[in-house]
Amino acid sequence: MRFEAKRCGVRFNPPSIVLVYVNTETKKLRKRVIPIRNFTKLSDCCMAAEQLKEHPRHRDYLEAVSQGQLEKLHILLQDHLRGLSLKHSLSTFHLDPDEDLNKLDDKELARKKAQMDREFERNRKHKDDPGFVYDLEVDFEKAPQENCSWDESDDGF
Amino acid sequence: METEEMAGDVDHTFDLEKKKYDAEENVKIICLGDSAVGKSKLMERFLMDEYRPQQMSTYALTLYKHTTTLGNKKVLVDFWDTAGQERFQSMHPSYYHNAHACIMVFDVQRKITYKNLSNWFKELREYRPEIPCCVVANKIDADLKITQRSFNFAKKHGLPFYFVSAADGTNVVKMFREMINRALEYKQNPSDFMDEVMQELENFDLEKKEENSDEDGLKAENLELV
Ligand SMILES: Nc1nc2c(ncn2[C@@H]2O[C@H](COP(=O)(O)OP(=O)(O)OP(=O)(O)O)[C@@H](O)[C@H]2O)c(=O)[nH]1
Ligand SMILES: [Mg+2]
Repeated sequence: MRFEAKRCGVRFNPPSIVLVYVNTETKKLRKRVIPIRNFTKLSDCCMAAEQLKEHPRHRDYLEAVSQGQLEKLHILLQDHLRGLSLKHSLSTFHLDPDEDLNKLDDKELARKKAQMDREFERNRKHKDDPGFVYDLEVDFEKAPQENCSWDESDDGF
Repeated sequence: METEEMAGDVDHTFDLEKKKYDAEENVKIICLGDSAVGKSKLMERFLMDEYRPQQMSTYALTLYKHTTTLGNKKVLVDFWDTAGQERFQSMHPSYYHNAHACIMVFDVQRKITYKNLSNWFKELREYRPEIPCCVVANKIDADLKITQRSFNFAKKHGLPFYFVSAADGTNVVKMFREMINRALEYKQNPSDFMDEVMQELENFDLEKKEENSDEDGLKAENLELV
């Protein structure tokens, strides 16, 4: 790998992705600003990320940056175009267990689900996995039961 | 009024549906719960390869058709799944119409989804005071310790309770099979007289709502099959 990515981020004006990397030959720390053109509120961030990753002029620099990360950077740029604050935009990438997800719009809900998907995929048992049991049953009744604190302190629930 | 006409179409569709349900061993099971608790993942885990949902004209509603045999009887099950986000506003009564059982899901990692069960349950009982219902605690793979806790909501309302994981499959099939059985039992139960009376009351309510509210008319449109 000729370029070792260290950090990346966005610049809103003009919309750009900023990459800090080390040139492994010269050992020098460099910054590369990649302008994101023809990108609108309605662009498909996933596709834009894929195109950037394959871009002949940038791909060598972006080798160590995952497509998921590039997509996230595009989403930040797009949220800015949609008038969202950076703080709000970043918060959509974090799971807050107390947040009411019923109220989110489709896009934001999809981001939360993408976060959840990591654990889901980690714990997932596939049909082809050795030892897969379709109708897996575990009896938890026997486990010692303690009242859940979620039942405390309220409102006739 | 346009709204009424749309609602009329839906009622017609549902009348046909009702005939079908009466003619065969065919039950309708609905799924309730907040956004992202895993309703759809549970359905997919149960159905595996059989999984071929029919999308309604918006993404709000998905119908999964499932065939199974109980004893030597063939049973057709329609699972109705809808997004918590959509329903958050107000659920069209047709969703509940002629349902034989209900699966209520919460996410063991998010207290708010457990707290909201009481809202889902309240709405369910307005439309379907009698049908079998259960409470499902999903995502236990993410926090196995949670299975040592008891959750009072189910006990308080006399509902069966399941710890499940759509990810690793724990108790998913057991839960669905038991609910299919209970839906059938409910359907075959002669105490249905009570239910018929209720149903009349429900329909009455339903019409009144649709006359008064434009939004319900819009929702009604969404319910048409593609
Ligand atoms: N760890 C874990 N994650 C799960 C499990 N089930 C679902 N998830 C995660 O939760 C996310 C939401 O699941 P969905 O099935 O889309 O939830 P839903 O209830 O259908 O959500 P809406 O349709 O939006 O109301 C998924 O993207 C998964 O990442 C589970 O059993 N374990
Ligand atoms: Mg869903």
